[in-house]
Amino acid sequence: MSFDTFGTPPVTEREEPAELDPRSAAQLLDETTRQAQRQFDPRPPFLTLVAAFVVLIAYGSVWLSVRHQHPYAGPTHTALAVLYGTLAAWVVLVIVVLGRAGSGIGGRAARERRISGIAFTAVWIAVYVFQGALHHEGVSDAIQYGIYPAAAPIIIVGGAAATWEAAREHWQYVAVSIAAIAIACAGAFTGPATVWLVIGIGLSTIVAAYALIRFALRAA
Amino acid sequence: MTVDELDPLIHTPARLRIVATLAALPEGDTVSFTRLQDLIGLTPGNLITHLRKLEEAGYVETQKTARTSVSLTARGRAALADYRAALLELLG
Repeated sequence: MSFDTFGTPPVTEREEPAELDPRSAAQLLDETTRQAQRQFDPRPPFLTLVAAFVVLIAYGSVWLSVRHQHPYAGPTHTALAVLYGTLAAWVVLVIVVLGRAGSGIGGRAARERRISGIAFTAVWIAVYVFQGALHHEGVSDAIQYGIYPAAAPIIIVGGAAATWEAAREHWQYVAVSIAAIAIACAGAFTGPATVWLVIGIGLSTIVAAYALIRFALRAA
Repeated sequence: MTVDELDPLIHTPARLRIVATLAALPEGDTVSFTRLQDLIGLTPGNLITHLRKLEEAGYVETQKTARTSVSLTARGRAALADYRAALLELLG
């Protein structure tokens, strides 16, 4: 195709002077590459760092509401409001960042990202549908409002994420996903109240550490 | 290796930035003309001129559906890799 079909007025070719010495060229190449990678990155480090705070606030609010419960009855309405409010704000932020990074981008990888979005949404929904089944069967409050909602989303969605990232050889994400699963599994043994604290602190630490590593790698 | 041996199609500031920007996309991805223009900061006319040169060399390809999209070809990626290697050699 010809670019003239844009309807753009004909232009006189303006060739830039070939004054680019090798050092300047290397610097320009490096700077442009970094800038483009940042612009196209759907998972920038700041978003990862925000995720660490989201986990800490969401899990922390629930733990504060259940830590003295004997017997365990589940999070208060206020704690649940903080949990889901924080998660909702996080989802909105992710959508905004993804929209900016993916603006004008098409092709195979972009299609894969859209498909993965659908698949992960289905997995999240399945996690909570299963919780409904536990409730339907009259499973104890400690399981259906404690251990399961704290640990299962991390284990199930983390497992799906690890598999997805492994298929694409994104080893850093695989490592973070597996570490998250390990924290959730360990937390599940600590009981319906403490599980929120263990996963909240453990997961937010892992995610924050990964964000800092990515910040450092960018600055290097 | 001398400066004159560097690929002249890439060794200009504007085309170097275009090729480096397109190379930052995963293989198989395209970017719209308008987003590329925003990123590079060239006028539409200048961008078209440079893209036409790169397209004639087989370094980029364009698809026009509802919008015009640009991507780096395998040949373009190889040319940028060669250019980068040549720069490193020149800089010792």
